[in-house]
Amino acid sequence: MKQKILIADDSEMNRSILADMLGDEYEILEAEDGVEAVGILQKYETSISLLLLDIVMPNMDGFEVLIMMNKHKWIDEIPVIMISSESAPAHVERAYGLGIADFISRPFDALIVHRRVVNTILLYAKQKKLVGLVADQMYQKERQASMMVDILGHIVEFRNGESGRHVFHIRKLTELLLEYMIHHNIRPDLADLDVSLICTASALHDIGKIVIPDEVLNKPGRLTDEEFTIMKNHTLVGAKMLNELPFYQDEPLIRAAYEICRWHHERYDGRGYPDGLKGDEIPISAQIVALADVYDALTSERVYKKAYSHEKSIQMIVNGECGQFNPVLLDCLVDIADTLEKEMHDNDENTEPHINKDEMRNVAEEMFNREELTASERTLQLLELERMKYSFFADMSEEVQFEYTVSPPMVMLFALGAKKLGLNEIILDPLKDETVLAMSGPEGYKALSDALRSTTPEQPIVKHDQEIWIDGEKRWMRIIARAMWSQEEPPRYTGTIGKVIDIHDDRVKLDTLRQMASHDALTGLFNRRYAESRIKERMEARPDGRFALVIFDLDHFKDANDNYGHIFGDQVLSFMAEKLRLCIRGGDIAARVGGDEFLIFLEYKLDVETVIQRIFDSLIGQYEDFRISVSMGIAKTQEIGTEYEELFHAADQALYTVKRSGRGRYCFYDESMRDMLSVISSIDNDDDEETDSDKETDNNGKAAEDEADKEGEQ
Amino acid sequence: MTLKECYAALEGDYDSVIGRLRTERMVQKFVLKFLNDKSFDLLVTSLDEKNYEEAFRAAHTIKGVCQNLSFTKLYESSNNLTEVLRSDYSPEVEGLFEQVKADYQQTVDAIQVLQATS
Repeated sequence: MKQKILIADDSEMNRSILADMLGDEYEILEAEDGVEAVGILQKYETSISLLLLDIVMPNMDGFEVLIMMNKHKWIDEIPVIMISSESAPAHVERAYGLGIADFISRPFDALIVHRRVVNTILLYAKQKKLVGLVADQMYQKERQASMMVDILGHIVEFRNGESGRHVFHIRKLTELLLEYMIHHNIRPDLADLDVSLICTASALHDIGKIVIPDEVLNKPGRLTDEEFTIMKNHTLVGAKMLNELPFYQDEPLIRAAYEICRWHHERYDGRGYPDGLKGDEIPISAQIVALADVYDALTSERVYKKAYSHEKSIQMIVNGECGQFNPVLLDCLVDIADTLEKEMHDNDENTEPHINKDEMRNVAEEMFNREELTASERTLQLLELERMKYSFFADMSEEVQFEYTVSPPMVMLFALGAKKLGLNEIILDPLKDETVLAMSGPEGYKALSDALRSTTPEQPIVKHDQEIWIDGEKRWMRIIARAMWSQEEPPRYTGTIGKVIDIHDDRVKLDTLRQMASHDALTGLFNRRYAESRIKERMEARPDGRFALVIFDLDHFKDANDNYGHIFGDQVLSFMAEKLRLCIRGGDIAARVGGDEFLIFLEYKLDVETVIQRIFDSLIGQYEDFRISVSMGIAKTQEIGTEYEELFHAADQALYTVKRSGRGRYCFYDESMRDMLSVISSIDNDDDEETDSDKETDNNGKAAEDEADKEGEQ
Repeated sequence: MTLKECYAALEGDYDSVIGRLRTERMVQKFVLKFLNDKSFDLLVTSLDEKNYEEAFRAAHTIKGVCQNLSFTKLYESSNNLTEVLRSDYSPEVEGLFEQVKADYQQTVDAIQVLQATS
């Protein structure tokens, strides 16, 4: 398969000249502007071997492409050769600062372009190989070195008949203790110690035992004083061996090993051997190895003893049954006791010292990249850091966060958000992207975009609720976004940052509450308060419309309650509401005002009377044994005007007139009724009825009607 | 008309282009392609619409192509126009554009003859 080269240049001519030169050996991809180039890079990523990049291009120029490549770290893997007639030093410098491999000025020489392309691709391939090679070599070297030391240490243990694990245990314990102390800053003076050096040196602590005769070294019973003197000598012998090495005398490893060999049997109280050093006269490395040695001796089986448990061993050490140690060290030992037990056990399966291969690779790469950082690289690193923080918080927050730029038109999402919405992390030209459009029609995006564009730099934040398809389900989402305005005058809208929050469950709950607040529980019609606001809205929207407000109530409803009970009364009201719903038109408003009073608000063109007659007729009927008839008052905006309170009052007075004159009919308001009482005792305040509580019946608002009934009968 | 004569007619540098692009076949192929390049049309429309950013890019593209093909005369006039347009509009644009237009015509004329006779 041919390697791929991407050519990004807005001139077709220029692209085809380059394609012609390289097409025989490479597969050529072409992009006619930066946005397309980024799209192709995103698609193919590192399977592109080289990018030939122009600077001046529409939508997104070459520098912006390089910035994107830095952002996504493609620049580390894909070499870029910039070809441009913009050969001003500032341009060239900036391009190199952004990480290009080479810069070719126009007019170019076919042979040179070809040669440089081939060289650059080879160079990058070689460098990648070399990084791997060096890492492998370093890994091997390190591994061999520590193997040699371990073998040496092990020889001694072998003679000693101890398990081969001893050297490894000492190394591990030393490492754990030292790292704990440094990490918790228990001994600030240790900060500069080379932990791995001391650990390696710890393996040599007993090399002096090589000269101790077998019968002393491996004696099962207690040693005699004489034998013990011989035994003690291993510290001095080991130290001497190291000291008399013909070479490496001044190596830090040898110095560390010397200290450990000589003094790992000293005691903190000064009663140890060979030199009787006391307290911190004993080097900390030797103190630690001594502690590690005792712990391992206790937990291992020896010719003269069985193994103690981990807990028992720690307890014995802390109680001072096995020597005297630095109290600080003992505290540390107790602190790491749990880790210690686990590490010792886990690592018994794998005794090879831990060398991290990835770490080696990093070191090797670091060596390749160790150049002075230029200012722009430093800026990019800072940017990268900010991006990292930002992306971390974005991922922690469970919210979908996004960034949108106008030019090039592009949306960027953080990984988690993209996954949640089932979108790519980068979407070019989002309004033409099928996956984006599948989530909501273009109107939704337009509304959001309009809202953002109509913000100001002072108040750039927009809250926008919208239904979005996610996983085949339509859910309410709230988009909180901040429009980005440029610094120039007048400011230009450059893009948006924002987040998307799922508010579906809250929204559904709110809708239910809203339904409950605006509707009458018994009949499901609007309640009075909500009807009022809807009516006001309607009249405001069409000040020149012709509207009529109708109030009616059931004649002799009190009888239904009295004769058949309140449950029956409620059934009658529900029955009425259903009838009402059936006889009004789609745009009309129907509500239960209270008790057995209902309200209708309707718009008409010419003849309102026909409409009223039809409604009136269809409301009359029978519910079981109860004969239904209604009294109805009507007020028209043409006469009263569009003031709701006055309209309501007028309809109410017309209703009162009907009631006085014998019920069972309807009547339009006219001037003669101006001074009438009203059926509904107060125009707009239900609470006033509370004061008349003694007169109230269960179907609230009856008191005034009873009054009217009485008057009507007079 | 030979390619060399064509270069003489459009006042380009034949030796330079052959030196860089190596073969006469290749140079001729791209010279003929120049007739299809839309950059000049784009320059005209964007100047008409007073879109000087777009005009800058169009002039820049013409300049780049001419540089590649060693169309020296058209390169020089389009280069002058590019540099002026780089900082948006200035009154010089009109005159410089006229020069580009004339040179473009001269170039296209020469290439058309080449196309007809080769």
